[in-house]
Amino acid sequence: MSGPLTAVLKAFGAGVHSVDEVVVRTGLSRDVVDAAIGHLVRAGRLESRELAIGCPDGGCGSCASGQVDGSAGCGASGPSERRSGPVLVTLSLRRPH
Amino acid sequence: MTPETATSTLPADTTRGLAAANCHEDGSAPQAPAGARVVALAGAPNVGKSTLFNALTGARRTVGNWPGTTVEVGRGAWALPGEQVSLVDLPGAYSLDPMSPDEELTRDLLLAADPAARPGAVVVIASAAHLARSLYLVAQVRETTLPVVVVLTMIDVAARRGIEIDTAALERALGCPVVSVDPRRRRGHEDLDRVVLAALDAGPATPRVDPARVRVQPCGCRGCTADAPCSCCPHDLVEPALDGEHTAYELERADERFAWIERAVTAGVTARADVRQTWTDRIDRWVTAPVIGPLIFLAVMWAVFQVTTVVAAPLQDGLDQLVSGPVSAAVSAGLGAIGLGGGLIEGFLVNGLIAGVGMVLTFVPLMGLMFLLIAVLEDSGYMARAAVVTDRLMGRLGLPGRAFLPLVVGFGCNVPAISATRILPNARHRILTSLLVPFTSCSARLTVFVLLATTFFPERAGTVVFAMYLTSILLVVLIGLLLRSTLWRAVGADPLVIDLPPYQRPTARLSLSVMWLRLKGFLRTAGGIIVATVCVVWLLQMIPGGGGGTFGAVPVEDSLYAAVSRFVAPVLAPAGFGDWQAVSALVVGFIAKEAVISSWAQTYALAEPASERQPGALGQHLLATFESSSGGHAGVAVVAFMVFLLAYTPCVATISAQKREIGVRWTALGLVLGLVVAWVLAVLVFQVGRLIW
Repeated sequence: MSGPLTAVLKAFGAGVHSVDEVVVRTGLSRDVVDAAIGHLVRAGRLESRELAIGCPDGGCGSCASGQVDGSAGCGASGPSERRSGPVLVTLSLRRPH
Repeated sequence: MTPETATSTLPADTTRGLAAANCHEDGSAPQAPAGARVVALAGAPNVGKSTLFNALTGARRTVGNWPGTTVEVGRGAWALPGEQVSLVDLPGAYSLDPMSPDEELTRDLLLAADPAARPGAVVVIASAAHLARSLYLVAQVRETTLPVVVVLTMIDVAARRGIEIDTAALERALGCPVVSVDPRRRRGHEDLDRVVLAALDAGPATPRVDPARVRVQPCGCRGCTADAPCSCCPHDLVEPALDGEHTAYELERADERFAWIERAVTAGVTARADVRQTWTDRIDRWVTAPVIGPLIFLAVMWAVFQVTTVVAAPLQDGLDQLVSGPVSAAVSAGLGAIGLGGGLIEGFLVNGLIAGVGMVLTFVPLMGLMFLLIAVLEDSGYMARAAVVTDRLMGRLGLPGRAFLPLVVGFGCNVPAISATRILPNARHRILTSLLVPFTSCSARLTVFVLLATTFFPERAGTVVFAMYLTSILLVVLIGLLLRSTLWRAVGADPLVIDLPPYQRPTARLSLSVMWLRLKGFLRTAGGIIVATVCVVWLLQMIPGGGGGTFGAVPVEDSLYAAVSRFVAPVLAPAGFGDWQAVSALVVGFIAKEAVISSWAQTYALAEPASERQPGALGQHLLATFESSSGGHAGVAVVAFMVFLLAYTPCVATISAQKREIGVRWTALGLVLGLVVAWVLAVLVFQVGRLIW
């Protein structure tokens, strides 16, 4: 079967650069595309990552947003629940558990 | 009556369902009478579920407009006509798949092992503004025997966006009642009361079945077949054994649900064609256009650097005068008063710490202004458009799209950028990107660019700094292409989709907070590195370099520091800056670029007595140094110097990060690559430049 999720995944695989392009390529409504992307991200088939720039010198350890263990707290090097900036949605292959 | 609520953090035994939820009552709070029928309130986060719960029960639960507000199970009495039921506010959930603790709890409560413990009806809240997002949960609940009522909220928001919902058509498509309510204005509550009561009375619902899962066994009467069964043919549901948590079967099921959602949305939702184009759409037509977009991006970045250098210049001069004037004089006078003047201690404090650290401090207004402008661009949503423009360019050049993220981070600092390459699933992409990150111009290099640009090109300082950033982007692209065409011809493209947020007016609080965050990080790191480097450089400048003299009494040009720099200097003579004073900064810059200016300030401070020192003298000394080393082509030589500074090793911390991420071999290759590229480009710039300039 080829439903909206498959169509969205195919659009990602074809190298689209924006969600609007996904909408055009799949012919689905923006609302359905947004919902499908959200579902695929939650299911781990797509990865959503925040864009972060202007990091302080010395890296995440010296940043007030950094975690105690020195890792990023803003989504610069991992998915973040907080969506404070523009979001990059990247296609990633699911790894077996 | 005045219903009250009580909450429980987690039911003690979710397998026993909602009836087992052991709420912590506050003593006087009346609940629905024992044995009252239970109605569950479910829905995705941020659709107004808690607001509706409060409106229906008169409760005062915490209400917020951010996802995940409902983190507890709330319970309250809901007075329906002629009956009081127990309304249970479930945690926000997009689906019944256990993808988060909230969803797991919601699933366990709705699908309790004991059917008698399940709610009598489920009210699923759906945002009319994002209907599809809310309907996945409806699709899953409709596959059970639980009676479902869909409540549409945020009708007004949807209407403003030109979305109109035909409730009756949607009801037919979903196969369950749909009611529009406005909990804030208490509209639609009577309809909801009536519909929920009817759903409770109707009993178990007929589950929605995916046609693909139905296996028909033709009974043979009237010649019926599997394709054309009759009404009496037995039907079985196919449930293949799952071989993992996320199987192709699960995608197929989810796909079928989304197809059902799409049909429902198509049937029940109309988007008005006369809705005016938003400001975001209008602006995006230009800023993300294939040709105009990159030009606008370049213009915006040029403006950032121009404003930064022009506005910050007077503040920088003021701080320079303060540090090299009253501060240095006061410290010298103070030391003289206690009998420590003219010795090593005064030399270290005035010519070392104050000259070195003070010079870098003069860049605080400049860095602050640049961080503020970048923060404003980020907060407005423009930087996301810049990402689209840049990513498209990289995609066309065949570079991996996702490598864009660490490269952008690299323009702040190369160290976290190297760590950020972990997001790339392909090992070759990680290595390639880690080798490219050092060519992105970090903020530490900015201070050196600004000092040199304002000294040598005072009228066009902003443009020169902007040109260095442009050169950095070009280097990333060209080196990337070079590596791809030699080492990794087989590396494929990696698709990247950027979700653009709408434009918004930047808030002063957020922008200033981001600026302070980054400035503080810069000062903290730079401060530590500079003080340490100042001490080492001062020590090396006190040690004789083989030409006689004793510790602390040797001219700086005869020190060990100068001797080491002189040893390296001839290599850089073809680039026009084979002077030990210029080269010494590059040697120090290998440790950290933050220390380049402080080392220059120390070197030149030692060369002249403190009493004769003038504000802005560092620039004059640099002018003389480059004029002499380049044979009268100081401008070209300084451009070559900046190109070298841009391309060679950023700092030892970056090397350390590279070693951790890609190993010693690739790190060594990156080190050599940077030095070779830097030398070749610097020589090329100087040799060609001096012929035409």
